[in-house]
Amino acid sequence: MKSLERLTLAHFWVAFAAFAIACFFGVWQMWARSPLPAPFVTPDHYFLSVTGHGVAMAFVLTTFFVMGFGYFVAEAALERPLPGKFFAWIGYALALIGAGLATVAIWAGRASVLYTFYPPLTASPLFYIGLVLVVVGSWVWGVLMLVATGQWKRANPGRPVPLAMFGTAANAVLWLWTTVGVAVEILFIVLPASLGWIHTVDVGLTRTLFSWTLHPIVYFWLFPAYIAFYTMAPHAAGGRLYSDTLGRLSFILLIIYSVPVGFHHLLMDPQESTGFKFLQMFLTLLVTIPTFLTVFTIAASFEIAGRLRGGRGLFGWIPALPWERPMVLATGFSFVMLFFGGGGGLVNMAYGLNALVHNTSWVTAHFHLIFGGAVVIMYFAIAYEIWPKLTDREPISARLQRRQLWLWFLGMMVMSLPWHWLGLQGQWRRVAQFDYSNPIIAGWGPWVVVSLTGGLLLLASALLFIWNLISVRSSFRSHPVSTLAPYRFALAVHPPARVPEALNGFGLWNALLVFLMAATYGWPIAQQAFFLDAPHAVVHRVDRGG
Amino acid sequence: MTQEPHASGRSWSTWASFVVVFFVAAAALLGFVVLPIVQGQSAGLSAFAAICRSLGLQAGSPAARQPSSETAAQPVSMVAWTPQVIERLHHPNAERGKDIAGSICASCHGENGVSLGPQFPHMSGQSAFAIYKQLHDFKNGARVNEIMAAIVQDLDDEQMADVAAHFSALTKGALDPRTISSGDPDIVRLVEYGNSARGIPSCASCHGAHAGGPIETPTLAGQRQEYLLAQLDAFASGTRHNDIFNRMRGIAAKLQPGEMEKLAEYYSAVRLFRSQD
Repeated sequence: MKSLERLTLAHFWVAFAAFAIACFFGVWQMWARSPLPAPFVTPDHYFLSVTGHGVAMAFVLTTFFVMGFGYFVAEAALERPLPGKFFAWIGYALALIGAGLATVAIWAGRASVLYTFYPPLTASPLFYIGLVLVVVGSWVWGVLMLVATGQWKRANPGRPVPLAMFGTAANAVLWLWTTVGVAVEILFIVLPASLGWIHTVDVGLTRTLFSWTLHPIVYFWLFPAYIAFYTMAPHAAGGRLYSDTLGRLSFILLIIYSVPVGFHHLLMDPQESTGFKFLQMFLTLLVTIPTFLTVFTIAASFEIAGRLRGGRGLFGWIPALPWERPMVLATGFSFVMLFFGGGGGLVNMAYGLNALVHNTSWVTAHFHLIFGGAVVIMYFAIAYEIWPKLTDREPISARLQRRQLWLWFLGMMVMSLPWHWLGLQGQWRRVAQFDYSNPIIAGWGPWVVVSLTGGLLLLASALLFIWNLISVRSSFRSHPVSTLAPYRFALAVHPPARVPEALNGFGLWNALLVFLMAATYGWPIAQQAFFLDAPHAVVHRVDRGG
Repeated sequence: MTQEPHASGRSWSTWASFVVVFFVAAAALLGFVVLPIVQGQSAGLSAFAAICRSLGLQAGSPAARQPSSETAAQPVSMVAWTPQVIERLHHPNAERGKDIAGSICASCHGENGVSLGPQFPHMSGQSAFAIYKQLHDFKNGARVNEIMAAIVQDLDDEQMADVAAHFSALTKGALDPRTISSGDPDIVRLVEYGNSARGIPSCASCHGAHAGGPIETPTLAGQRQEYLLAQLDAFASGTRHNDIFNRMRGIAAKLQPGEMEKLAEYYSAVRLFRSQD
């Protein structure tokens, strides 16, 4: 195995191991909240589990997958060796040690603060130090992606950066912007509180800083899915990408309109004024543009493929598509879940409607559909797509891969749609259990059981996914396919010979993002940090006992 | 490099900047000017006040009047968890705390915080915050007790913090009340889950090992049974009323006959590991 493949696989196995374990937690959490008798149920265990599930899914699965995939793309798309592989392994080691420290803190019951922290609750310092190490490891990745892109551009003056790498570099830029908020929050407020150096925190300020990270981090997770939509799915469908330019534009819009919009997570919070909430809500709406551009472009690309395969009429190209290929099937499922998840998201971000669903299961349904559904199913598809390349072995069975994708899709719909429904009825989230002897709550019981059923399907799918990956490696060990051609990304209908510098780099967009951040976050942060004398909250150490 | 990409690059910068600034300006016009003025009119606010509120320069929403009251709030407790108080509790004058404890407190609460009579609560195992809060309340009358009121009159805030920190430091660790092996299942359920039909939250949600309750929440595990029962009674009848937001008065009043006794028995049955037992 070549060194890059080893690097990517090392990242992917950490990601998928965390994912599989976290799926067990997820199912148990739904069981614990259902009317059925579940083992080990105490509120302490529940919040420990929620923290573990959230950290594993949102920090470990995503960060390691994005890093591994980025390294793969950097070599496959740029067709040159990744610079600084040594540093890449250092970053991997840092992130792995960090994930280990955080895991220890969580399992010891000393970090049950959920993955979004909620100061003035503070966990064991190990938890925060671990997460900081994960982020530092990912910064190494971000810098390497930008270095690789820069070196390629210098070696190929005037040529457009291949779209897959442009998307990966865009994600690196986004990630460096994204992590500033949480880094400031942890290093200057939460970690000192956890270490006992300060005894009170300005909760409003910490929430404002976390919101800086909380929205764009989701787009960091989502980028691999979008890269796969643009540069893998059209090729897998047997066609070409409808427009390279729209891809670049979407990636850029995802950067500049995902960071200055975090206040839509704080619409019910008192510390920001209405005007700034409105401003950020307005800009949040613009995030829909790259999503619509993407759905349009990929649908058009699929139409081209379908018609090339003999599809006729207005919709005849849809059944003509090669749905038996996992990448095509996953893209279809992803779009369906994107429809529901995106629609739910529009409700969350609307200033008025948010008040109806804030802190209810509606929100849980939204982020499971959009991340656990639309994004993670593309992680599966990407893994299936490049696994032969990574392991130099043929995949064992496309049938099992399809079955796994079907299970995930159905499971996610069966689990999440009842949450949407219960959220509308006011079912709250972040609670350990429901008292079904209360007549108002009793009616929720059957729907919670339906959700649990969906969760079991998801767990089955997760285990099948791991089996699909492992079986490739073991049963074909004696038959390596060493003649595999280099991975081919999708070509555009009109491959760009030259693109404007604005669509080939990030200087202009970084400058505009500075402006946007100053306009949206500048005064609210300055006001809370320096001018308002907001009452502080006493630090509450969950790791020390009450 | 030819002329064309330069021109194209410039127009991209110009147009992209224009579009980005345009959307910010449009949103700002709506969010900071139009909506506040329109909404402020129906709330009886001047345009200036409404705009100031939308910018965060004045408190409140531009869409609503501020709820106001002429009545001054009557605090049930005068304790304020200021950074100074917290700092003192974390870094007390240990010598002075020990002196005060030995000369004043020990005759009832024991030299090691293990009380000498069933009516006196153990201090050992208690958090410094909980002891400080009660001393402070005795001093200014929020909690009424003739003996304690007379004793704490001569102590200032720092001395109270020192002695509170002294007692809290005597314990090596408190046991989680759920480690109790046997107990009335209804009472265990009340402790762990509460009873939402009666609007009673679980005891453990504030008094638990990893609970998220207020910082001054006392530890109940291993406390004197008679003392616990007397306090629940006092909360239920309202004779003790130094609980902020009516928390314990509200809960105690909803307990059914027999539950107080069983709760007191439950919590007192949990042994604490004390340093010098």
